[in-house]
Amino acid sequence: MTEELSKALQNKLLEVNIEGKILNLVPLTGGASKEIWKFEVQTNHETNEYILRKGSGIEGPLAIKTSDEALLQQEVRKIKAPVPEIVAVSSLEEALGDSYIMKFVEGESIPRKVLRDAEFKDALPLLAFQCGEAIAKIHEVDVSKLDYLQEKTPIDQLNDLYVTYESFNQPSPVFEYTYLWLKDQDFGDTQSSLVHGDFRLGNIIVSNLGLESIIDWELAHIGNPFQDLGWICGNSWRFGHNEKVVGGFGELADLLRGYNSISQFQVDEDLVRTWQVFGTFRWGVICLIQASAHLNGSVNSVEKAAIGRRVSETELDIADLLFLGGK
Amino acid sequence: MIFDKPTSVDLLAAINHFLDTKIKSEVPPHLAFKLRIVENVLNIVIREIEKGDELSNEVINLLQSLMESDTPSVETLALLIKEEKIDLEDQDLKDLLVTLSKNKIAVDNPNYSTFKKLIK
Repeated sequence: MTEELSKALQNKLLEVNIEGKILNLVPLTGGASKEIWKFEVQTNHETNEYILRKGSGIEGPLAIKTSDEALLQQEVRKIKAPVPEIVAVSSLEEALGDSYIMKFVEGESIPRKVLRDAEFKDALPLLAFQCGEAIAKIHEVDVSKLDYLQEKTPIDQLNDLYVTYESFNQPSPVFEYTYLWLKDQDFGDTQSSLVHGDFRLGNIIVSNLGLESIIDWELAHIGNPFQDLGWICGNSWRFGHNEKVVGGFGELADLLRGYNSISQFQVDEDLVRTWQVFGTFRWGVICLIQASAHLNGSVNSVEKAAIGRRVSETELDIADLLFLGGK
Repeated sequence: MIFDKPTSVDLLAAINHFLDTKIKSEVPPHLAFKLRIVENVLNIVIREIEKGDELSNEVINLLQSLMESDTPSVETLALLIKEEKIDLEDQDLKDLLVTLSKNKIAVDNPNYSTFKKLIK
């Protein structure tokens, strides 16, 4: 299988005038839905490292095509937000499938390593501010060029999530309560922006200097930008470091200082908390979606099966936020 | 139960031990990550067999007094909330939702940070 993939990579790279030998093609630990491969290309003069990101061609209801992720990353690069350089894009019909090749960015994306390893110790205190800045930059992208992305208001999105939850026929008193609570909230007055949709550790590359690159754009859409700020504060993305509200590494005040230093919209902590509840509900529904792919027989995956039992994490987080004064 | 020892829990624990001591060191990194998920899944099943009845019964008892029904269920409560036929500000309801969530996570992932914080 690796040989076949290697051949397809070589052919694709030839299209963009990169000719060389494919070496050290290895799968990396990726998300539950994509294959990630790292490889090197050896030309006459040098050896360069690349990443292949490959979708299955069957996306969940919230995800965009992998090849569209590449288009989006190219657009985001234009405004100088930190994203890896795209080298080549392949559509589903081609040998390489729905995928793209990008330059490898040095650093770490695995959350537990970023939070634990000594190498990142000096970077962590800077990271919340840097994430705030990067999120604000993403929100400056000209959305008129992104016609492959769906546009959704917070209420549209909330209703979509609720309908999806209902379709799985697994009634949850906590989610019913959450839906009613969220319907009554003010999500902040703003203009439609590019929303990354999954901005958190795991989807950013961190070096000893801090934030290097933003990856994994599959949940991108156009909507209320504050969603990205609430999402990274969700307890699911603190990786056990409950006391550090932002991503398990930082303070909310620092994230907002970074965001407000660039953004034309000013955001306060209460608004982020509303979006945190929204994000936690959204992650709960995404867990249901992932588990349903296993339950309905479209894939047989222990990973996807296991994620069904993570829905209860989001229910407990919401109960903590709404009833017990959790942060 | 008419079955001999080892119990279902003993059997699952033996599989987990085998994976942990004999297989883990043999697999490449991307499979080691999946192996950890497999071990977690086995532990969920072990906890559900061991504590599932007690954790469910505690919630059913609370549902019974909240809903004053002979056949209380999580599904019926979800419907009552959806149709707003229950006072959403009722403290007993909020307490029940907290207990329900805690008892589910006690099986699904007792190492979850919010759970550990709340039972401190």
